[in-house]
Amino acid sequence: MTTSTAQSQPAPAWLLQREVALCPCGCIGKRRKGSYVAKTLSGASGVLRQAMSSDDIAAQPGLLQRLDPRIKLVSLLGLLVTVALLRSLPLLAGAYVVTLVLAAASKLSVTFFIKRVWLFIPIFTGIVVLPATLSIITPGHVVLPLWTWHGQPQGFTEQGLHSAGLIITRVATSISLVVLLTLTTPWVRLLAALRSIGVPRMFVLIIGMAYRYLFLLLDTVDDMYTARKARTLGGGGDSAAGRRFVAASAGTLFGKAHQLSEEVHQAMLARGYTGDARSLQVFRLRRIDVVWTICAAAGAVALLLADRGLGG
Amino acid sequence: MTEPVLACSDLRYAYLERFAALDGVSLSVAPGETVALLGANGCGKSTLLKVLDGLIFPDSGEFHAFGEQVLEDKLEDEQFNKGFRGRVGFVFQNSDAQVFSPTVREEIAFGCLQLGLDRATTADRVDDVVSMLDIGELVDRAPYQLSGGQKKRVAIASVLVMNPEVLLFDEPTAALDPRTQFWLIELLHQLRTAGKTIVLASHDLDTLPELADRCLVFSEEHRVVADAPTGELLADHDLLLRVNLVHERSQLLRR
Ligand SMILES: Nc1ncnc2c1ncn2[C@@H]1O[C@H](COP(=O)(O)OP(=O)(O)OP(=O)(O)O)[C@@H](O)[C@H]1O
Ligand SMILES: [Mg+2]
Repeated sequence: MTTSTAQSQPAPAWLLQREVALCPCGCIGKRRKGSYVAKTLSGASGVLRQAMSSDDIAAQPGLLQRLDPRIKLVSLLGLLVTVALLRSLPLLAGAYVVTLVLAAASKLSVTFFIKRVWLFIPIFTGIVVLPATLSIITPGHVVLPLWTWHGQPQGFTEQGLHSAGLIITRVATSISLVVLLTLTTPWVRLLAALRSIGVPRMFVLIIGMAYRYLFLLLDTVDDMYTARKARTLGGGGDSAAGRRFVAASAGTLFGKAHQLSEEVHQAMLARGYTGDARSLQVFRLRRIDVVWTICAAAGAVALLLADRGLGG
Repeated sequence: MTEPVLACSDLRYAYLERFAALDGVSLSVAPGETVALLGANGCGKSTLLKVLDGLIFPDSGEFHAFGEQVLEDKLEDEQFNKGFRGRVGFVFQNSDAQVFSPTVREEIAFGCLQLGLDRATTADRVDDVVSMLDIGELVDRAPYQLSGGQKKRVAIASVLVMNPEVLLFDEPTAALDPRTQFWLIELLHQLRTAGKTIVLASHDLDTLPELADRCLVFSEEHRVVADAPTGELLADHDLLLRVNLVHERSQLLRR
């Protein structure tokens, strides 16, 4: 090979000298904050990692953890549909409180749970919902005037606020249900449960792989970021360079991920994989599953009936 | 001489049809033999092991295992596939690639379940291997949470559990601390005494005499330049120097 370095070339002279720039006290150059891009990059990977590594919680002996994953999956999906059908704000709020109770019964820290759920809400709904609370979009009884226009007070309307409240509680309750499911079920079991309720094999396999690669990509992003930071002398404040780094890294990242996924595939083949992954886990229904199913179904029906009475 | 377990003749392989990795490699491994593949970085050791495990297929040349030629479409036949995969195990150089299941226990069980062993037997075997490799505390953790050396142990466990006749190891001692390296060498010793056929890629000349009966040396031109019993080969300092396996200042040459 051409790259043979074993017949040792002498090291270049600069490598053998100490350099001023490497002064350990950092006394050269001005102090600058790290660039936005760099911070976002490592920040985002940290948040994602934290939001997903829930296997510790899933191992706690709580209510939802004790349920058969299939039952849990189906019942929570059922409740999700119920919530989507509710039109009464108090009932939705009640349903939201029930998710908090479930979280507590499953040994989740309620503040942690609330934070995790509300973290997503402004992103997904805030932008859409906010304008709808104003009288220019939703006409009606103005409760909080902000400005006047043609002699009419304009601002938040009662109707606007009501429908915004409806949307936000509905979204919050739905997200809570999904988070309850994912936090209390070890990832493996969830995949197996998806498979056992008839989700196609390939689909489950892809979700599983995607999840694994997400971690791998996060680690790689971290490593590359740290490696670059270690090599950057001037503090990395230049954000154009930062952006270029991100663009270049994305390419390398996909190269690496591709090569790795090929090796993983080979490793699976090497151990006899031919397309149908088998799992050690066997599911068994217990009394608690039956009780839970009855309660969940009764709750859903009660909510829907009450909604008819209140809303219709 | 008995019929070889693995036999290759004149293998050629290039990645993406451009980057040559094997250029006319022949090799034959007898049952129960331990063969080491030696060579500088990038000479094609991993590539050869992947051919021997039926994961990539040579551009030209033939590979026979257990007396039958191994071909891509033959491996699609379920019976041949099960037979071959059950009899040949491969520990990858990069253990990150090898651990893909959600928990260590599932990881170790994977091969047996794929080959159609029932759950109870698989679980028993997993327990045995776990206690043998002393990884009891790790079984319920996710493989991506482990350190490099722990991952390697899990990878080795996941192959041993299938009890293959032929074991392929790609640089098994790399990334291991000295104690674990020693443990692994012990393990290889045991496997050898148990009559397993072993092919391993290695850079570690010091441990070679304990590990391998025979060595195959690759040149940087991706060809085999020597094939000799370990003791004989290690005495040939000129050859070792020529293929960049040792450096003029290496300890080995002073002995
Ligand atoms: N995925 C790939 N794409 C392109 N070229 C590759 C790929 N994998 C390996 N090669 C090339 O094939 C050649 C042989 O690689 P191989 O991995 O078999 O070497 P090796 O002997 O295992 O080296 P090392 O001791 O570093 O593990 C190298 O020159 C390498 O650059
Ligand atoms: Mg290699």
